Amino acid sequence: MAATRTASRACEIFTTLEYGPAPESHACALAWLDTQDRHLGHYVNGQWLKPEHRSSVPCQDPITGENLASCLQAQSEDVAAAVEAARASLENWSTQPGAIRAQHLTRLAKVIQKHQRLLWTLESLVTGRAVREVRDRDVPLAQQLLQYHAVQAHTQEEALAGWEPMGVIGLILSPTFPFLDMMWRICPALAVGCTVVVLVPPASPTPLLLAQLAGELGPFPGILNVISGPASLGPVLAAQPGVQKVAFCGAIEEGRALRRTLAGWVPELGLALGAESLLLLTEVADVDSAVEGIVDAAWSDRSPGGLRLLIQEAVWDETMRRLQERMGRLRCGHGLDGAVDMGARGAAARDLAQRYVSEAQSQGAQVFQAGSEPSDSPFFPPTLVSDLPPASPCTQAEVPWPLVVASPFRTAKEALAVANGTPRGGSASVWSERLGQALELAYGLQVGTVWINAHGLRDPAVPMGGCKESGSSWHGGQDGLYEYLRPSGTPAWIPYLSKTLNYDAFGLALPSTLPAGPETGPAPPYGLFVGGRFQAPGARSSRPIRDSQGSLQGYVAEGGAKDIRGAVEAAHQAAPGWMSQSPAARAALLWALAAALQRREPNLVSRLERHGVELKVAKAEVELSVKRLRAWGARVQAQGCALQVAELRGPVLRLREPLGVLAIVCPDEWPLLAFVSLLAPALAHGNTVVLVPSGACPIPALEVCQEMATLLPAGLVNVVTGDRDHLTRCLALHQDIQALWYFGSAQIRPQA
Amino acid sequence: MSAHQQGTELDLSWISKIQVNKPAVLRRAEQIQARRPVKKEWQAAWLLKAVTCIDLTTLSGDDTASNIQRLCYKAKYPIREDLLKALNMHDKGITTAAVCVYPARVCDAVRALKAAGCDIPVASVATGFPAAQTHLKTRLEEIRLAVEDGATEIDVVINRTLVLTGQWKGSDFIKTSTGKETVNATFPVAIVMLRAIRDFFWKTGNKVGFKPAGGIRSAKDSLVWLSLIKEELGDEWMKPELFRIGASTLLADIERQIYHHVTGRYAAYHDLPMS
Repeated sequence: MAATRTASRACEIFTTLEYGPAPESHACALAWLDTQDRHLGHYVNGQWLKPEHRSSVPCQDPITGENLASCLQAQSEDVAAAVEAARASLENWSTQPGAIRAQHLTRLAKVIQKHQRLLWTLESLVTGRAVREVRDRDVPLAQQLLQYHAVQAHTQEEALAGWEPMGVIGLILSPTFPFLDMMWRICPALAVGCTVVVLVPPASPTPLLLAQLAGELGPFPGILNVISGPASLGPVLAAQPGVQKVAFCGAIEEGRALRRTLAGWVPELGLALGAESLLLLTEVADVDSAVEGIVDAAWSDRSPGGLRLLIQEAVWDETMRRLQERMGRLRCGHGLDGAVDMGARGAAARDLAQRYVSEAQSQGAQVFQAGSEPSDSPFFPPTLVSDLPPASPCTQAEVPWPLVVASPFRTAKEALAVANGTPRGGSASVWSERLGQALELAYGLQVGTVWINAHGLRDPAVPMGGCKESGSSWHGGQDGLYEYLRPSGTPAWIPYLSKTLNYDAFGLALPSTLPAGPETGPAPPYGLFVGGRFQAPGARSSRPIRDSQGSLQGYVAEGGAKDIRGAVEAAHQAAPGWMSQSPAARAALLWALAAALQRREPNLVSRLERHGVELKVAKAEVELSVKRLRAWGARVQAQGCALQVAELRGPVLRLREPLGVLAIVCPDEWPLLAFVSLLAPALAHGNTVVLVPSGACPIPALEVCQEMATLLPAGLVNVVTGDRDHLTRCLALHQDIQALWYFGSAQIRPQA
Repeated sequence: MSAHQQGTELDLSWISKIQVNKPAVLRRAEQIQARRPVKKEWQAAWLLKAVTCIDLTTLSGDDTASNIQRLCYKAKYPIREDLLKALNMHDKGITTAAVCVYPARVCDAVRALKAAGCDIPVASVATGFPAAQTHLKTRLEEIRLAVEDGATEIDVVINRTLVLTGQWKGSDFIKTSTGKETVNATFPVAIVMLRAIRDFFWKTGNKVGFKPAGGIRSAKDSLVWLSLIKEELGDEWMKPELFRIGASTLLADIERQIYHHVTGRYAAYHDLPMS
């Protein structure tokens, strides 16, 4: 009977030539779950941790809804236990020679290789992603990552002399990110000698399996600990004593909330946010290959996010036709089917996509879907949205998986304007066969990574990161290592912020200042140094500055929100000019400033002396300031672009770009040296600056401004005096400042 | 083979506008080999489809009437009868698409096929195969003689001197290479050719056929070629009128795979008839 059915089937397929199922057996994944009695806990210090009296969540097959296992939800005590394990093993692990760490990572890579089927079937089974993607890309890449970082560990003593591991690293993963994102972060952290606690979302067994494989290797059980629990445990993990850095990858909103909660609590927070990508297709591109690039970016279960697609008008029709034709050939289905392009991602992802589509439709967009899925199906078909009105809310929102939102552009200039017109800056690709044009577009895109005529290529040696709201942490390559290193001898970090700081009221009130009598001695330069000249403050009032004896040294302008606005504007105007200066020109200017400081030495020394600084110390401060400027001037020459060749069928160009407009709030101590030391690196790297000098002793800084007025281009450095807290608040609330360096009494993180 | 191309005005701007990004095409070629596995009865059916697209070829200097005859017989009965019966495909006329021989052997092939009682077409390479560096006059004469002998399909080796100097000509079918080059049918090259075929179809409505030849030896290869056609051109191209595989040893491997599918055992060499 069976034979006959097979026979008739073959006969039918011979005519239709359809694809059949190509299921991967996931028996070993189930067998592994059975070893845990279908009940997963946490993996801490080389053993399973299954505390009692905890709630648990089911781990389900996203397609059938079948219950695969139950997963314990961690509580604060479990987090503490995991951090304790990591802390206990830190000493041993970080003092091992790099060669030993390298050996350990290599052994883990081998273990993964030996049990890869278990890994890929388990991951595909519980996430619903196409097994082909996990098997052919994620698992090999995980191995490559371990091997690459093993080499880095091996050469660490030489290559990274002067740097030491930070300590215990907390890593928080959000549900949409695959286990590979964990590997991108734990590999460099472990390689340089850090130990890691990973907080994974409930019901994600693959990281637990990896931790088990690593733990069973033996001598260093506590270096990788995985606990599963809700996102609300993030701050708990961060607040554990000993955690020196928290790395997070997830949605932009979650990242922002975490940043707010953790301000002042964790020394470093590395954010990688959002998953949307961008593809820019010009009229001189290989359109068929670009269409494949779109498939790679959005419909191949590679990225957890959607795609914004910009198409040059001349090839719009042609591209749409090819794209729709190609969409018709995409196959959705059970992730464990080897011939499937796209699996299912669970109800949450599907609902998010559906909401976006309905919203877009209601705003007048055209929606093309290849095939239709019934509303109760776990699948969401590949979807192409076009004709979205530019001003509609959807254009600003992040495009969710598995959507592609296409819009046309006319010229390269317009393409850049549209592409850069979002707060996100993750990754993008440019498709053009004209080298000059492709490079011009790539340089102009404000994103962390740009691929040319490809999309989504990854290599362990190539750093990848984002800018703007997509976060600023890097992973991969050398840059990824520095995320988990600090200069040797840096004191361990201590939380310094009281939880009671009220952000709403901080720096809101501006204390009023009254005339305090006539100045003694020569009057200091007066005004806010904005746009290259001294200007009267918007508030038209001044604050008295007293010397160490309490007698009046002079008045400085009382800056406010409007002055900050003006200063930022001036800095932005100066930015393109300064950015395009050659390193040599930037170095020359810094050296000229150093020379000017030297000329003004007697003047500066006497100002510092009046502030109560001993003559010897004051002289040393000025001398050191001059030295700093020279040193940074010299370092400008060393920066630039590095060319690496990875196995990506092409070279990789790593560019160091200035952040843009930097705001710096100087500390009260060392009024001149701090001012110069903060200013010099910012300028050296091509940034323009808005700076609040020492509150107690701003006059030396203003003296330097007099020199800068004649030496530097207008707007390059802007110095605003006034109430520190109030100015800090104004700076933090300015969205167009790319970074804020704050040194002082309290911590206000930039909202930008 | 279907009716000849009506042809179209030569518009060289089509060619100058084509953009091909080699690394991207190479990536696609790698992907296509891993993304569409075909298993079980689907595999059997697809392999039989591949059989019907084979130009069963012998192009050796020592070809004689006897091995041509054996080849023709294999073309008529490419898969053992009992295996076809098990798949209920024995009455579907599964034969190879054509037999492909040198011009001097066309007579032998036509005679053998007539004796076997079938109408499988005889294809002949002609025109100074494989280099085509002979005079136009002799090449045309070669085609005329082959057709006179009964060949119904001619694999013309184009004059690559003309191509390299930008003087293009049209065709019913395009072929990756003669099969006698150092590099023959590769997936990246095929992708570029298939995309050109699709563009030509979209512009003119004419369907040009495609024939990869040389180096296609395993059943798995033939499945990848079929899925490549399906992905880039669609189902309508997956038939002998528009798709041929030039091969000599491929058929043996396909037969072995079908044997395995039907019996669950791997065949010894002596289990299957030689060609």
